Amino acid sequence: MELNVRLAGAAGQGLQTAAELLGLAATRAGLWAAGFTDAESRIRGGLNFSHLRLAAQPRQGVRQRIDLLVALTEEALAVYGPELAPEGGLVAAGRWLHPKAAPFCLDELAEKAGSVKTRGTVAVSMAACLVGIDPGLMEEVVRDRFGGSEKILGLNRKAVQEGFAAAEAWDRGRGWRLLEPGRGPGRTEDRLWLSGAQAVALGALAGGASFLAGYPMSPATGTMAALAEWAAETGMVVEQAEDEVGAINMVAGASFAGARAMTATSGGGFCLMTEGISLLGMIEAPAVIVLAQRPGPATGLPTRVAQGDLNLVRHAGHGFFPRIILAPRDVSDCFSVTARAFDLAERFQAPVFVLTDQLLQDGQATSQAFETAGLPRKRYLLDPRELEKRAEYLRYAPAEDGISELAAPGASRHTVVVDSDEHDQAGHLTEEAETAARMAAKRQAKARTVARADWPLEIEGEVKGRPLVISWGSTYRTAAEALAGLPAAHLHLRWLWPLDHEKLREALKPASSIIVIENSVGGELVPILEEVTRLKVSRLINRTDGRPLTVEELESRLAEEVE
Amino acid sequence: MTVKLEDYLSQVAPAWCPGCGNFPILESLKKALVELELAPEKVLVCTGIGQAPKLPHYLRVNTFNGLHGREVAAAQGAKLAAGDLTVIIHAGDGGAYGEGGNHLLHAIRRNLDLTLVVHDNHFYALTKGQASPTTEAGAKVKLQPRGVGSRPLNPLALAISQSCSQVSQTTSALPDHLTRTLVSAIGHRGFSLVNVLQPCVTWDKVHTYQYYQERCRPLGADHDPTDQLAALGLVLKPGERIPIGLIYTEDRPVYGEELRAEGGRPLRERGVEPGLVKGIMDRFR
Repeated sequence: MELNVRLAGAAGQGLQTAAELLGLAATRAGLWAAGFTDAESRIRGGLNFSHLRLAAQPRQGVRQRIDLLVALTEEALAVYGPELAPEGGLVAAGRWLHPKAAPFCLDELAEKAGSVKTRGTVAVSMAACLVGIDPGLMEEVVRDRFGGSEKILGLNRKAVQEGFAAAEAWDRGRGWRLLEPGRGPGRTEDRLWLSGAQAVALGALAGGASFLAGYPMSPATGTMAALAEWAAETGMVVEQAEDEVGAINMVAGASFAGARAMTATSGGGFCLMTEGISLLGMIEAPAVIVLAQRPGPATGLPTRVAQGDLNLVRHAGHGFFPRIILAPRDVSDCFSVTARAFDLAERFQAPVFVLTDQLLQDGQATSQAFETAGLPRKRYLLDPRELEKRAEYLRYAPAEDGISELAAPGASRHTVVVDSDEHDQAGHLTEEAETAARMAAKRQAKARTVARADWPLEIEGEVKGRPLVISWGSTYRTAAEALAGLPAAHLHLRWLWPLDHEKLREALKPASSIIVIENSVGGELVPILEEVTRLKVSRLINRTDGRPLTVEELESRLAEEVE
Repeated sequence: MTVKLEDYLSQVAPAWCPGCGNFPILESLKKALVELELAPEKVLVCTGIGQAPKLPHYLRVNTFNGLHGREVAAAQGAKLAAGDLTVIIHAGDGGAYGEGGNHLLHAIRRNLDLTLVVHDNHFYALTKGQASPTTEAGAKVKLQPRGVGSRPLNPLALAISQSCSQVSQTTSALPDHLTRTLVSAIGHRGFSLVNVLQPCVTWDKVHTYQYYQERCRPLGADHDPTDQLAALGLVLKPGERIPIGLIYTEDRPVYGEELRAEGGRPLRERGVEPGLVKGIMDRFR
């Protein structure tokens, strides 16, 4: 049982605010909501939508289906009207003719409430009513969101009443109720309603992040904005740099000084950072780089989705040095993967990438409140008292596992020296052949240590003799849903690099075929899998238009492969 | 505990040319740090790539020898993370005014408590004598054999026009003046730019020690360093005499100091407390 609501209209009409209200109300009511946005790179006008999927069970895959279309412009009706499900319904801003249209129009109801600007609230209140959400709960959500201004709150309260009254009259026999009065949870407080961008920000804080430098770039900016908003209470330093080159070098400086440092950017901005990534590798400074992917090359499609930067981060920066690449698969994962990234970065004194994308960053979902109890809490910096007792401190002292002890400047009487040039144990620039070879070997040893720390492979279903579908990042939820009931196994890679060659080969070998699902033009994971396992990937299921893969699309494309 | 010159002794032998204009800067820096009673472990020198940026290896001090032109960015990150450190940046004219130009502009705006010492020899010395942003127009160099077509950058005018908190000029050819200037700049609260006119004994036979000794004239009592237009006039006026000393100063709020005023400890001392996010997480319920 689910209801797919698409709110479509022009930029600036409050689509996202309206979707936000409905998602929060549904979450509090005990439903599971998941939303994604389709927006043009403009402030006003054009055609955008916010799509909300409401269900009694967790359903976070991307659905194409539209049960209820809220059309705020005639263009929205013309484009999405034909996509309405056969038993679907339409609520429009104006009295536009359509066989599935409700017998009223949003703008008139909004004007009755006191302002046409409340049409979004009217629309989502109607949707709330249709799925069985209590009007009191909707009013509470409106109060929490608009409570700052008495006037706006008053208008929106009236809008809720208008929406519920209209929907009750229209609802009879429609059968969209996900919540029955007196049945189901009705109200819950142990779940969250938030975006991936916000979950990444919360994860960073849980991972001990104390410094961020970044330059705004969609779709990464939401993470920066959340951390900046909370900085006064968390004490985190959040700095908007003059450019991405400045940002990554600030991160390197802060990390050297002992901060848990991060940046957040997208592909284009990341390209500017690559020399800085190489610097992190050379001086062995921990850092977390959140790369929120969008389609390229160059400016590409700024507000849309792609998973095209995996090989970019795998190879970014010249020279050999270890790195870790992680990719969260949903909002809840954005939290825990980011938190763990900070631990890995400091433990291995290496750059750790968290690959998200526009779908994850901007998409919102109901999640069980995040668990913080099991997260790592260790800092790997040498204790200053212990350090004080040492006769000397050498930043790059030899270590079998390639990991020298980490100390920050200012913590003790010892100075700390790092150099982007090849350096000796003390960190001083050197060109001595033997030392250079020893340092290169130390970085290789560290890479082997890092490779042994990988996370277990997660495979759903029996692999032997059946097709194995492999997904990573934001495609996981949609792929998992589309695969339900099909005779295929599903491997999701959350830890993307470095990969354990043997382990992966053993896992993939028994499969009858290997299918990769990825939202990229050429298939980023395909050459990596083939290189690492020496097995052939038989099929890439992808999209190249910057739109998310949907459950419906995957169902039909997988059926061809799997049957 | 008094700080002695020996405390700054490094075991690393300088790789500069004999007689290099960097030597007096190194010696003056050590003297200035001793005079300011700063212990080596509380001082961080950030540099990039070139001849000047090798400097921190030649004294015992916390060292971040990063990328070419990015020293100012890295220093700001370090200073924001560790406000208890005295952070000094040494860069050449290529790194500070060319590759790192944008970082400099915005560092002046931000005004962290940092000192940027530019070893300005009007050349890229390490890469064997190409033009830098401050090379005189018309100078014939390897990559511009017909003469440099662009006008030289005027870093002092640039900094003064953007209300840089402290702007001074000195020269390697007058070591005492150099030391006094560094003491003033490092002691100043806010972003200080010190442009050090420096001979390149290998590539430049014109701008010698003697050249600067004959032309550099310390500013007298008649110069008011708080008068922005007067300071700008001074550095825009071409002349035989080169002004050295404190050219401009402005008392500006220092960025990042509010973090310290709130009792903010250096970020290296922060622990990891995942449970602390619960309060913020509750807002999404």
